[in-house]
Amino acid sequence: MTKRRMSLRMITASLLRRRSRMLIALLSIGIGATILAGLVTIYVDVPRQMGAQFRSYGANMLILPKEGGELNDANLQDALQVIPGDALVGAAPYRYVRLDMTSRQQSFTAAGTDFSQIAKTSPYFSVEGRYPENTREILVGKEIADTIGVKLGSTMELTWQPAASQEGASSDGEDAPVDTLSGSAEGFGGGAVYVTVEVDESGAIASLSVDASTQTPEFGGQVPKDEAFLSQFIGMTPPVSEEDIDAVSGATITSEAVVKAVNGARKTSAPTQPRTVIFSVTGILTTGGEEEGYLFLSLEDMEAMTGSNQLDVAELSVSASADQLEGYVNAISEGSEGVQARLVKRVARSEAAVLEKLTALVFLVTLVVLLLTMICVSTTMMAVVSERRREIGLRKALGASDGSIRAEFLGEGLFLGLLGGVMGGILGFVFAQVVSVNVFGSSITFQPLLLPAAVVVSMAIAALSCLLPIRRAVAIDPALVLKGE
Amino acid sequence: MSLLELKNISKIYGELKALDNVSLHVDQGEWVAIMGPSGSGKSTMMNIIGCMDKPTKGEVLLDGVDLSKESSKKLTDIRRDKIGLIFQQFHMVNYLTAVENVMVSQYYHSLPDEKEALEALGRVGLRDRARHLPSQLSGGEQQRVCVARALINHPELILADEPTGNLDEANENIVLDLFAQLHREGTTLIVVTHDPEVAEAAQRTIVLEHGRVAREVVNENFGK
Repeated sequence: MTKRRMSLRMITASLLRRRSRMLIALLSIGIGATILAGLVTIYVDVPRQMGAQFRSYGANMLILPKEGGELNDANLQDALQVIPGDALVGAAPYRYVRLDMTSRQQSFTAAGTDFSQIAKTSPYFSVEGRYPENTREILVGKEIADTIGVKLGSTMELTWQPAASQEGASSDGEDAPVDTLSGSAEGFGGGAVYVTVEVDESGAIASLSVDASTQTPEFGGQVPKDEAFLSQFIGMTPPVSEEDIDAVSGATITSEAVVKAVNGARKTSAPTQPRTVIFSVTGILTTGGEEEGYLFLSLEDMEAMTGSNQLDVAELSVSASADQLEGYVNAISEGSEGVQARLVKRVARSEAAVLEKLTALVFLVTLVVLLLTMICVSTTMMAVVSERRREIGLRKALGASDGSIRAEFLGEGLFLGLLGGVMGGILGFVFAQVVSVNVFGSSITFQPLLLPAAVVVSMAIAALSCLLPIRRAVAIDPALVLKGE
Repeated sequence: MSLLELKNISKIYGELKALDNVSLHVDQGEWVAIMGPSGSGKSTMMNIIGCMDKPTKGEVLLDGVDLSKESSKKLTDIRRDKIGLIFQQFHMVNYLTAVENVMVSQYYHSLPDEKEALEALGRVGLRDRARHLPSQLSGGEQQRVCVARALINHPELILADEPTGNLDEANENIVLDLFAQLHREGTTLIVVTHDPEVAEAAQRTIVLEHGRVAREVVNENFGK
């Protein structure tokens, strides 16, 4: 039999036949290893866990048009390709305009957006009622709602005023041979009637469409559908005389407004005419922030009113580390012609700060547990040594050198470390899983490297903890066995 | 031929002279008993012969090597290679079986050999108890395991400290018979005892009193 096999036999016998004491040592290493492995797992997983948590505090990245560039849905979607699907929590596009509420002679900032994305990028938005789902529905900030006294189900008549007014548009109107013109006129009850006119090379009307949504639905509202009425305009060259047009019965004022609007129609790429839409309020928004002073409507309505699909900004909520975020920002800004990305520094930085503190805390706790485990194992091994004083004395009397006493105790320590490490690696994962589910509400994936790491660390801890007890063991005088102690 | 020679050794602990200018000579193959009341210096002498302590003064020659000049590491080597120890308290490793306890001695000396260890147990009549733990053995059986452990490495000197102190008469006789066998095979035996019967089994008895050799008795009836 080799010496190694004999020493292995002695160590296993010592562990198996002196169960209770060794069980305590094993437990202290095992529990230490469990907590350590668990903490390390959490430590590694914290950024991911917290990243998901942080996403509930709102967007951490913005996509903006570059100087002279333009942001629209197409190049926004291109830019979003850079970010992996599972990292992109949501991307809410925004277009901000001022809308007038003529009835109160007030104007408000209105944001056109995609409501399905808002719930993802701004989960803290609290809506009384519901988000708008159809066109001509509007979400009103609490502040505005309180000021003007609108409630769920109220209507708001809002008007968009083109920034650069008509003088530029009128000169354009006469040059082009084939054109689309648009115009508006006051109809019944002060509501605006909009027309879109296509003219041929001679300036004759080729087609006409009417938007009379501000008019009484049963009367003026029927005008756009009245083919007989609309067909009268085809072939005429504006200005059209009111006498040449038979008004829709019951909707005389609206019909007259159509004539006026056609006569006043101008060629534009964007409407040059103010447009008024009546919205119904589906929700009141409470955020505790500046959003309460905004109106929110769908991008479709926004485009219909302003005639443009440009966006001002897109707010993105991306679940990623600070480095990854930086990478996405650079990739988007470099990869796209018209748009650039920016981090919301306030959110990104405070996330980083919280993460840093949290990881520092876990690290500190890990260190304390490490120390406690070492003290516990060391004390147990110390007790083991004094319990085995006679045996150690006997071994020395039988010729054991200091080196072989050291090797035996170290061997036992390492063996305990090995068992404790395996136990800790497995239980630690369970521990981390329980913590993760209870604290963060999400499960973690098993790191295969955890098991060998736990084993190596436990063996190192066990070996270190054995140093002092081993010194004491080596100092035992073999003569004590003769004294009949 | 002389195996062990103590030349004017003293061991002084502060005021106390545990051994006071003691000289002793033991030949190769001799069986010597050391007697004396408690505090007479038996244990101190035993520790010095057993390479576990050094005298304050004087020389200890074992096989021509002066133990009083050696380092404790070297003393460990000498003890391992030349001396087989038997203790009053039996002293077994309590979580190892009988045969494993014998093998521990081989382990420190050279290489563990289970077959040889079993043979040694057979020699002390415990072949069938080899797989038992100390707690499953009687006192006499435990002491016989210790004898087997002491002789496994074929030491030149077997040093026994009250080997029968805790044994009944039947077991005492078994152990003394084993000593007689070892003696016939040429092993040198030094047995510390205060039991006159055990002392009488030896060839020669040294009586210690107050750290000095009080008298030396040669057993006329030895071997009869």
